[in-house]
Amino acid sequence: MTTPGTSAPDTVGTPASTGPLGTAPGVDTSPAGIDRAEGVGGSAPESPRGSHASFLSRVPRSVWPLLAFLVLFGIGGIIRPNLITIDSLIGTATFAIILAIASFGQTIAVIQAGIDLSVPNTIGFSALAFLTLVGPLGPVGAFVAALAAGAVIGFFNGVVISKLGLTPIVTTIAMNGLLFGVILLAFNFSELTVTPDFVIAITSAKISVFGISMAAVLPLGLALMVVLQLVLSFTGWGRSLFVVGSAAETARLAGLPVDRIRITGYMLSGLLAAFAGIVIVGYYQQASATMGASYLLASVAAVVVGGASIFGGRGSVVGTVGGALVLGQVSTLVTVLNLGANIQQLIYGAIILIVISLYGRRRAA
Amino acid sequence: MSVTAPPAPPVAPKPAAAASGPRFWNSTGVVRLRREGAIAPIAAFVVFFVVYVIINPELLTRFQLQTASNLVVPLALVALGQLIVVLVGGIDISIGAIMSLCNVVFATQLEHLPVPVAILLSVGVGLACGLFNGVLVAYAGLPAIAVTLASAFIFGSIAREVLDRPGGGVTKEIYLATSGELVPFVPVSLVWLAVIAVLLWLLLQRTALGRHIYGVGSNMESVRAAGINARLTKLLAFGLAGVVTSFGAMMLASSTVTGDPRSGDPYLLSSIAAVALAGAAFTGGKGSIIGTILAACTLGLIGNLLFFAGVNSYWQYVISALIIVAVVGIPVVWRRVAFFAKGARS
Repeated sequence: MTTPGTSAPDTVGTPASTGPLGTAPGVDTSPAGIDRAEGVGGSAPESPRGSHASFLSRVPRSVWPLLAFLVLFGIGGIIRPNLITIDSLIGTATFAIILAIASFGQTIAVIQAGIDLSVPNTIGFSALAFLTLVGPLGPVGAFVAALAAGAVIGFFNGVVISKLGLTPIVTTIAMNGLLFGVILLAFNFSELTVTPDFVIAITSAKISVFGISMAAVLPLGLALMVVLQLVLSFTGWGRSLFVVGSAAETARLAGLPVDRIRITGYMLSGLLAAFAGIVIVGYYQQASATMGASYLLASVAAVVVGGASIFGGRGSVVGTVGGALVLGQVSTLVTVLNLGANIQQLIYGAIILIVISLYGRRRAA
Repeated sequence: MSVTAPPAPPVAPKPAAAASGPRFWNSTGVVRLRREGAIAPIAAFVVFFVVYVIINPELLTRFQLQTASNLVVPLALVALGQLIVVLVGGIDISIGAIMSLCNVVFATQLEHLPVPVAILLSVGVGLACGLFNGVLVAYAGLPAIAVTLASAFIFGSIAREVLDRPGGGVTKEIYLATSGELVPFVPVSLVWLAVIAVLLWLLLQRTALGRHIYGVGSNMESVRAAGINARLTKLLAFGLAGVVTSFGAMMLASSTVTGDPRSGDPYLLSSIAAVALAGAAFTGGKGSIIGTILAACTLGLIGNLLFFAGVNSYWQYVISALIIVAVVGIPVVWRRVAFFAKGARS
């Protein structure tokens, strides 16, 4: 069942499901909560009877979007045989990895039963803050400062959501609006044209991996994916994020510091969105007030197509990369077949509908 | 806000309006507004309005009032659409796309069809979009946020297929009839808003369907146990939201005298913000029409106020966010403080 050709993601995806939890301290008292948390990485919560269904349900969810991507890649090859090349694969993957990086933060927010609609303007804010601070602080200082700004944004989101009890949607929409105001007020756009070499070196510069030339952002994004997946799957904090996402009340009764986990979750989400902002600046070498706007719905779409539950407690960054690859391949196919951007959006919508009708019902019912 | 009040709401299948006298006032007056969370947004609007009139008394002149109301009426209508979906415990991410689609359908059909037909078509498209979401949410049991995320992509792409750049056949006459000076003293767009709001209020407060909509949001299980068709109610709520959104879309097309396939996009986040500011519960069952309209007016006019106050109007984004967090958050903090105070006393 393992898919050849996607070995790097796969080796991460499989242990995520087969080696669940185990070490998360202090949650042993709540079998129900753990059960569901175990389902998170992949295996379905209900115990299936038929061995066939059992096998299918044991396949980690993050495999399906990657498989769907390969099928779409194959379909592309059938339509246009010249699409089956390493270059075409790299091209789609580069487009997809940027969307995936922008969606990693969203993944973290969705896993803990939240949503982060402040991703677009966090991207814009961090990108512009980075470019503004490169002068006084130097590239590395500006890089750290922009990431810290993202974490602070996430901190405020988390505090308002967990301490004031506002809905994540409302809180992050308010934060998104607030950041837009700050972006318009604080930055002098005409000065921000030069992208520092350091960022270009880690994003758009061509490097050679195993003899294949690709933009540096691709290995960067994959490395980030591996690190995040390891954190989510094998650290106590990562596992507790799933527990909070699937049953916050159970987690609280089991003695987990739910508020602190939420706040740190949103901080990581904000930090990753900020990182995405810097990556986008580096890759496209331009920044504007509305540069993040297209990631509002696209980031949620990548997360949903990646198999995460919009109700929380389920999802993986590997799946998100798979979801982004599916969307990216659709975009490639639409471009090659010259169907236009409208058809692409239509297909995005249809894919989301298909995915949620496959996954979405279990907990909605 | 009213934790101690009986969690009574509104699942009275038989209209309680038959009871006369004090009971009538009790159910329509301040108590109901309080229960629906509308006191804070109304107070916020009153403060805002007073400040506005002090800074810029010109608001009350005919021209400025008209400009201001043309600005807020589309937002108020879309927010009402969002409110209906929120009342049944959902959320509509596609509302901006529905608005864009109805907007371009209205504008393009005006080019070769009589006005009433174009209006009907636009309303029909809004209804169809709402029902599309509603079927998937109510009958397929899918989460509203994910369904409407998908349909946001779909409706948006159809809108740009109908009309790929701003244009269409909105005429000066339509502008005058919806956003101009058709009636004395009051901007006509406010009249339209009032008509739609009153009809919607009657529908939500005085018909069985309306009470069911509130009921489905506040307690799905009880509503089912009472033998009400909860799924049908949800479906109709989404359809109704689509219709109200289409009114907002037509008002926008008329007041800007163009159809624009991206005109609805900014209304996605601002409609949710207005519903939040109105004190509606995103778990459903709580939210008021007047609160939503006034919240939309507050959010829609902050930019104007800052302009007249001589402040950089970019501050409007920051101030809107702070108002939302303050108005929604203060009751929470207040409740918590009251809780601790009570605990300390006993």
